[in-house]
Amino acid sequence: MRRKFDEQLELLNQELIEMGALCETAIANAAKALINHDNSLAQEVIRIDAEIDQKEKDIESLCFKLLLHQHPVARDLRQISSALKMITDMERIGDQAADISEIILLGNLHSVDNAVHIDEMARATIKMVTDSIDAYVRRDLDLARAVIDYDDVVDDLFNQVKKEIIDIIGKDKQNGEYAVDLLLVAKYFERIGDHATNIAEWVEYSITGIHKGGERI
Amino acid sequence: MKRRIFLSMCLLAILTVLLSSMLTFVVMYRQIFDIMQREIEKEASYIAASLETTEDPRLFLHSVSTKAHRITLIADDGTVLFDSIEKAENMENHKGRPEVSAALKSGIGKSVRLSRTLGKQTFYCAVLLKNGMVLRVANVMDSVYSAILSFVPYILCIIAVTFALALLIANRETKKIVEPINALNLQNPMSNDVYDELSPLLIRIAQQNKQIENQMHTLKEKHEEFNAITENMSEGLILLNEKADILSVNKSAIRIFGGHDSSNYLHRNILTLSRNLTLRAAVKKALEGDHCEEILEMGDRHYQLTTNPVWVNGRVKGAVVLILDITEKRAAEQIRREFSANVSHELKTPLTSILGYAEIIKNGMVKIEDIPGFAERIYNEANHLIALIDDIIRLSRLDEDNIDIPRKRVNLLELSKRVCARLEPQAREKNVIVSVSGQNGFVFGVEEILEQMIYNLCDNAIKYNKENGRVDVNISQSAKEVVLTVSDTGIGIPKEHQNRVFERFYRVDKSRSNRTSGTGLGLSIVKHVAMHHNARIELESQPGHGTTIRIIFPGPHR
Repeated sequence: MRRKFDEQLELLNQELIEMGALCETAIANAAKALINHDNSLAQEVIRIDAEIDQKEKDIESLCFKLLLHQHPVARDLRQISSALKMITDMERIGDQAADISEIILLGNLHSVDNAVHIDEMARATIKMVTDSIDAYVRRDLDLARAVIDYDDVVDDLFNQVKKEIIDIIGKDKQNGEYAVDLLLVAKYFERIGDHATNIAEWVEYSITGIHKGGERI
Repeated sequence: MKRRIFLSMCLLAILTVLLSSMLTFVVMYRQIFDIMQREIEKEASYIAASLETTEDPRLFLHSVSTKAHRITLIADDGTVLFDSIEKAENMENHKGRPEVSAALKSGIGKSVRLSRTLGKQTFYCAVLLKNGMVLRVANVMDSVYSAILSFVPYILCIIAVTFALALLIANRETKKIVEPINALNLQNPMSNDVYDELSPLLIRIAQQNKQIENQMHTLKEKHEEFNAITENMSEGLILLNEKADILSVNKSAIRIFGGHDSSNYLHRNILTLSRNLTLRAAVKKALEGDHCEEILEMGDRHYQLTTNPVWVNGRVKGAVVLILDITEKRAAEQIRREFSANVSHELKTPLTSILGYAEIIKNGMVKIEDIPGFAERIYNEANHLIALIDDIIRLSRLDEDNIDIPRKRVNLLELSKRVCARLEPQAREKNVIVSVSGQNGFVFGVEEILEQMIYNLCDNAIKYNKENGRVDVNISQSAKEVVLTVSDTGIGIPKEHQNRVFERFYRVDKSRSNRTSGTGLGLSIVKHVAMHHNARIELESQPGHGTTIRIIFPGPHR
């Protein structure tokens, strides 16, 4: 009985890592599509998003099945409940990567201004997502905490990009559409950073049993 | 074993105690029965003696009768005269009783039988009195049993004590027997000095120890050999079990996937090493039993990923993943593809012109007086074509490194002078002054291709020069190297093109209209000749001011 449970927990673990890998690929491809103006890559992201949504449903049903059939306690319960929370954030990351791709496909972002640090922001966000999944895979508490701290970097970059976009509009009002789309993309990256932080927090919880520095649950 | 020995010892003790107490009871029974018999006989004789002297036997008997014994007086005709328990008149004639009839006959009679009066097993002893009457004394056998029963508590006590003692001894003895077996040194079985019965076993263990040690040693060697091979491979190699857990992973694979330390990954899922989707899909396919080949992109490098299932008894028991770095191979392939495309294009251009001119002439659309002009153009294009083909052949020979011409000592200064003399007409045409200076520089190499190299360099220097420009060829020799410098005052090469001018068909001026009769292969040939002689090339250029190319040969040469 316990062996089967362990196998199912391992399956859950692997599915979660796979979903994380899909998110990583989605966001990395979205960033690449943005910088290289690669529409086919942007379309690929939308396809991956559909895959991520499917994965979320699969993992969700697996979690409920485990909760109902096995009545897990202590660490096992923590693992399953944090998995349930993490997939929500991962699914949102997938959605936002797809949103970025849709904006790219609108075609207003044909030439991203070098003055805007959007590529740096993309890199920082990708790093956060990758590190949060890495933290989960390796059960690395330090890395998870580093991801949580790193969110400030992305937030600062967002503010910087925002200012740069305001400058672009100030220079030439014709750039309005371009600027607004770019701002949306930047906001999506910032949101993805927040979701990566959430994932890292749930990783921390699944290891320590403490969520966001609160009481031990 | 210990338990077993202990149990059998206990069983033995219980059996011994039970059997001996049973035998004791039997012996005691006989003993007590005898004693009782004798007592009753004695009592009978005493009472008989007393009765002889008594006036009233009934009164006397009444006074001596106790509860312990039953006393009966029987007349010679068998009539009961007195009985200590039953009323005499109620009793039947006793003449037929065995003890009575025996006493009447021989003076004394004994018998053990069921008493009709008492309904119990009884011992009787009858004595014939002098007056012809018979006195009978009886005792029920129950008294024998009760006598024995009185011993039972003592015997039980003895049994308990003996049993406890037996337990204690059994325990101690069991320990004593088992202890040497437990203390056996199995690492070194022959050093034990215990029961002889164990020696075949110990010999066998010693043999097997030796065998296991040998096998372990062989296994370890094999493992080390395998590790040495895989760790030094530049290709990544991963072995997985059927659950995609890593059984073995070499350094290259960890490096390729950007992992940390090798011990971290063993017996963990491949996902912990890399979450690459291509890898995941390939592994999945292999575990389903299919061979899979994929191109994996990691950063700016390309890898060929090959996964193969491992079949054991008709079932997939794992997978082998091999990762080859094919970045360079792909780049080389790309260059080759571009080269063939370029070659076809370059060959087609002059041919198209030739074909065009020839077609016009064939259709009679050219006036007779214009024909020489057209012929000239066809001639020039054909010449260009031949020059191009020559260059391609030269290049492909250099490429394959199969130059049959033997190497010899070549004086670069002399060679340069000879080449420049050949180029004199072109130089004069462009008003360019060509000068050769420096020392004798000796290089051990192939004269023909070195000449080609200097020719190409000087030809370029003249071709891309300005009117009234200069071309300086200088040879210098030091202990370490021989340097050939060709500098011109020409148009120069812009910075972004400087790295690429040695590529095949690469031209700074992309518009082919302004063809300066070059094939686009000149500098490529220079590069290959230099490579053939282990020389390196340095290029310095300022657009509008001129270019300096230095070919540095290693020295000293034989």
